[in-house]
Parts: sequence; structure tokens; C-alpha cells
Amino acid sequence: MLELLAQTGLNAVYAASYISLVAVGLVLIFGVMGVVNFAHGELFMAGAYAIVALYADMHLPFFMAVAVGLIFVGLLGLLMERALFRPLRDNPLGGLVASIGFLMILQALATMGFGVRMEHIPPVTQEVLIFSDKVRLPVSRLYVIIAAVVLLSALWFFLKRTRFGWALRASAQDPEAAELQGISIARTAQIAMFIGAALAGVAGALTAPLISVNPHMGHSVIVTAFIVIIVGGVGSLEGAVLASVAYAFVHTFVTTFFDGVIADITGLSLMLLVLIVKPTGLFGSADRA
Amino acid sequence: MLSKFRASGLTRRTFLKSTAATAAAAGLPGAALAAGDPIKIGFLAPLTGAVAAWGKPGLDGCEIWAERVNAAGGIDLGGTKHMVEFVSYDNEYDPAKARTGATKLIREDGVSFIMMLGGDTWPGVQPVADKTGMLFSTLLPSDLSPDTTTLIAPAEVHPIYNVTGVEWLAENKPELKTAVMCAQDDALGLPSVATYLAAFEAAGIEMQGDPLLFDPATTDFAPVVTRLLSSNPDIVCLDTCYSDYVHPIAEQLFQQGFEGQIISCTADFYDQMIDKTSKEFMEGFVFQFPDFDDPALNGDNINFDDPNGFYAEYNERHPGQWGAVSWEYASIMDLWKAAAEKAGSADPDAVIAAMQEDGTGKHAFGDANWWGKELFGIDNALVGDWPVVVIEDGKATIKGFRNIPAWYDKHGDLLIKHMQAYDQMWDQRG
Repeated sequence: MLELLAQTGLNAVYAASYISLVAVGLVLIFGVMGVVNFAHGELFMAGAYAIVALYADMHLPFFMAVAVGLIFVGLLGLLMERALFRPLRDNPLGGLVASIGFLMILQALATMGFGVRMEHIPPVTQEVLIFSDKVRLPVSRLYVIIAAVVLLSALWFFLKRTRFGWALRASAQDPEAAELQGISIARTAQIAMFIGAALAGVAGALTAPLISVNPHMGHSVIVTAFIVIIVGGVGSLEGAVLASVAYAFVHTFVTTFFDGVIADITGLSLMLLVLIVKPTGLFGSADRA
Repeated sequence: MLSKFRASGLTRRTFLKSTAATAAAAGLPGAALAAGDPIKIGFLAPLTGAVAAWGKPGLDGCEIWAERVNAAGGIDLGGTKHMVEFVSYDNEYDPAKARTGATKLIREDGVSFIMMLGGDTWPGVQPVADKTGMLFSTLLPSDLSPDTTTLIAPAEVHPIYNVTGVEWLAENKPELKTAVMCAQDDALGLPSVATYLAAFEAAGIEMQGDPLLFDPATTDFAPVVTRLLSSNPDIVCLDTCYSDYVHPIAEQLFQQGFEGQIISCTADFYDQMIDKTSKEFMEGFVFQFPDFDDPALNGDNINFDDPNGFYAEYNERHPGQWGAVSWEYASIMDLWKAAAEKAGSADPDAVIAAMQEDGTGKHAFGDANWWGKELFGIDNALVGDWPVVVIEDGKATIKGFRNIPAWYDKHGDLLIKHMQAYDQMWDQRG
């Protein structure tokens, strides 16, 4: 039983890692721009396809492909900000609808470029850390965990310790006051969009060899991310990280000890419970909710 | 029922009027064909999305089939030759889109026959089939019911043929005593779960716990595999999981150190699974769908024209895309063509009557019988032999053909018991 608990714990840490990367990006975009980016799952998908193109097809080294994928998806985010969200800055519903349209465009582009079938990506490594006969951690999963810790720590440092980070937080808290202080709302929106998209992209890129890559893979990711940010509190980065960890542990343990369908129901019940007890989410403020 | 039509923007009156107009203008499909008119066949299956692997490769196979038939002069209906062409509609495995597609194929394209994957999409199409009398085929006989007499399952008797793999395993590896199973919780997964449970019980293999069901949206299978391996099973059964699930589950089994036996309904693109794991890990993997270059398919019992040539042609056009359904829709067309030529008409009623005239039919894997009354409430499934396939030295190899009705005669009560437990009998399905 101890081994089963330990292995399940490792599985949950991995799940929390990639979910938090996606959810934090989504929260950052919403916090700064006030836009619910429905295409965020497709940015995750774009990161995965960057690995298909660069690593599986062009045989670039995996981590170089991840780095290029990160920049590529970040630039996609900039494109979305400039072409979709900036013209609709005062129209949150318009931004949401535009992101749904962009989601479909990205899916169609992936289908046209790569076909409908799941893509085969050779394993990055088959090395496995063996703690005991029943407790193992594939190194390819360890990469995801390390990347999440490093990137989220770097984001925390950026937001708390740099002038750009302060500007970003100021824009999120009160855009008008921030603008009066000389902070460019357009510039902070660009930074938020680049970072948010890049986080989704790097999550997609790092997990691509471990999951099924297809044009519709973003759907389940965005559903999970929405549950997480509602539980954590819409607009709260700390809430997104903590809710990711909580959701991943609950979902993983319930899947292991009951089954996956019950785990989904439990995850949604958790969200409903939080909405009933604290409608703003665990760390959310009434302003953003 | 009426509300469904209204929801789709199609009232009962306009539907009946247009159907009547179509019938009046065109007669029944076969009767209206003038000399030289092509016979249009509808292909209504998922061509995109998670289930596309069981749609698109089938359409690719049909295109090869059509070229072969047309090159040989086409389909002979009462002395008049007709070319055949396929009209496809991507239902994305969505019941509402499938209903729209069926209506479009019948009303706008004038098809004579519609082939489907079935499963979750069939309930969307069933009202259209009932209203129009169009002949439909499904790959999943669990769609069959006495309510729709024009739905046939002539290619595969999914998931009943899965019993042959378990039976072979029990005979050839009697040291395997325990099993666990996982499946997606949907119209493909659940009847297959019931079938495998019956097969394991019949073989004297003990199930270690209930089958683990997961949401079809699952992407991370590590928790599923951890749970499966927690009881140290001899056999891990992957049920009828889609290839998008079979691959990551197999990879997880490899990474979490499983060294036992794997059995699955399908192993599409198994070369990629070998690449993700190892040849040694995949050795002995049992499943049900052969590569058509297998020498065992050259026997006199096989009713599929030039399987090796078909496989070579398919791989030349679609390298690495061969899968479980690449040949199945084409084999259905073999049956349909033979029946239409026998009837001298493409009329659905005439074709199905000719197809089932003496209760037998020529299935791809040998002569078979129209069967299924007990399980499906109607004898509209063509059932006979089915191959057991094992990966040996990195290549799928047919280990033999086993007779499904023979298994059912011995263990049918078990199958019905488990189907009932999962609400999968025809009279239990909503």
C-alpha cells in the first residue's frame, strides 16, 4: 500500500506540474487583459506540434525544440493580443468570442498541416528513476516537473522583484491608475500574453512525447484549466498553482483508488463546492470574479 | 422525436415531404439509376477528431476498392454497368453531426447505401434510417436492434470477436491466471468490457477487481496504469481503447515495469508502440486485427480479393496509416456489391433481401451466418471466424482463426449475463 501511495503521489506531482503551467498562463492573461482566452488549450496544442515538427520530423535536439516551441507559441500569443484582443479591449465578450474563433483556426491549421491522426513522437529518453519495484519516475516526466518548478519560480521572481513585474501587477489590479502612472497598458498586455501563451506552449512541448498529440488535444486541457482557476480564484496566480496541486492530487488519487469517471465527477464537485462556499475561489477577489 | 427534428431545423412535415419528393423524383435509389449513372455510396464516419483512426483509414481503403471495381467495369445491375463513387461526410463522432450527414447524403447526394462506424453516433442517425428506409451498415453490432431492420453489421461483430483472443491465450498460455482491465466509458468501451469479462470467466481467468473506467477526455494514463498494476496481474486487458489511449497506456505499462501479458482489441500503428517501448516488451501482445500482408490471408477460406495486393497498394498511398478499419469498409462493399448485382438493383430493401437470402454470407474471414437474435434482437450481424493476432519479432502475425458462434454456443449465457450487468443488451440501451 505504501508503494501504491508513493507512486500515486509521483503521478500527482507530474499532473500538478503541467496543469499549473497551463492554468497560470490562463490566469495571467485574464488578470492583466480581462479576457477569457478559450484558445489557451490550442496554444498548448501548438507547443506539442512544435515538438512534432522540430523534434520528431526535423530531428532537432529535444530541448532546443522545446525552447523554439516556447518562443513560437509566445509569438502566437503576441499575434492574438495584437490582432484579436487589443481591438476588443473594451469588449470582454468580444475577446472571448474572438478566442473561440482563433481556437478553430488553430485546430484547422494543425489538421491541414499534420493530418487528423495522433502524431508519433519518439521517446526523449527511456530512463526511469527506480525507487523500488513499484515506485518509478520516468525521467521524461521528471523534466516536466523540473520545468514547472523553474518556470513558475522565475515567473514569481519576475512579478515580485522586477519593474516589469510590478507594472504587470499594477495593470492587473487597476488598469486606469496604472496608466495614470505612465504604465503602458498595451505593453503590459503584450508581456502578459507572451508569457501566458509561452507557458501553455512549453507545457504542450514538454508533455508531447508522453501524451496523444492531435488537433483536438487542447479541449481536455482547457476544461481542467478552467476548473483549476475557478477553484483557485479567477485572477490569482497563487490560487492557480495551489488549485492545480489540489486538483491533480484529488483527481489522481481518486482515479487510482476508484476510477477515472468518479475522479472527473469529484473534480467538478470540488469546483461546485468552492463556488458555493466561496464564490470568488480560494484566492480570488470580488473585483475580478 | 418531433422535438429532435425541430431542434435540427427540420420539421416532420418538411422531412416527410422532402423524403416523398426524393422518392417520387428518384424512385428508390437503385431503381432510379439510368445507364451510366454512377452509384453513390455514403461514408458517414469520423474523419477528424479522436476517433478518426476508425474512420479515415476506412475511407482510404474504399477509394482503392472503388478504383479496382471501376477498372473492372463497375457494378452490374440487371445488365447495366455503373461506376461507383463514395460521398463522405465527417461526423466527428458526434450524433447531431451524424444525423445532419445522413440527411444530407440521402437528400442531396442520393446515395444508395451508407456506411458508418456507429457507436455513439448511431442514435443520432436512427430516426433518419427509420423514416427513410435507407440501408446503413455499422462496424459495431451493439448498435443493432429490432427497431431498425435496415441496419446491418456485416464486417465485424465487435466486441464479440474479442472472446477469440482470450480463448487462444487461455489455451496457449495456461500459466496466466489473473487479469485486470481498463476502458473508456462509452458506447465502444462498455460492451467490450462485458465481452472480455465473459471471455475471462469462460477461460477460468480471475479478474482482480472491477474494470477501471476512464473518461474519454483522459490524457495522462499514469494513474490508470498504477491502479492496474497494483494487484500484480498476469494479464492487462486494454479492452477496445482507441489507439490514442492504447499507445500511452502501453508506454506507461512499460515505464512502470510491467512484464506480463497484454491483450487488446486493437493495436493500430503497433510499430510506433514498439518504438516507444521495446520489441521485447511488445513480444506476445495479443489483439484482433491483422496486417493484410499476412500469408494466412491467402487461404481459400478468405473472401477478400487480393488482400496482399490491397495492403501493398494501401501502404504505398498512405505509408504508416494501415489500421484496424483500413479493410473493413471495403469488405462491406464486397458484400453490398454482390447483393446488389444479385438483386439487379441498388434499392435498399432488394439489396438486404439478396444479402440475407439463405441466412449466410461471405465474410472477409470466411463463410458466415446472419446472426444475433439473442444478443441484438435481430439477425443482422454477419458472424463466423475471426483471427487471433500476436506480435512476434515486431510483426503482427495471425496465429489462427476461431469461430465466434462456436464460443457463443458454449458460453453465451456468460456473455448475456455480463452484457446485462453493463446495460448493454439491445433492450436495455436507451
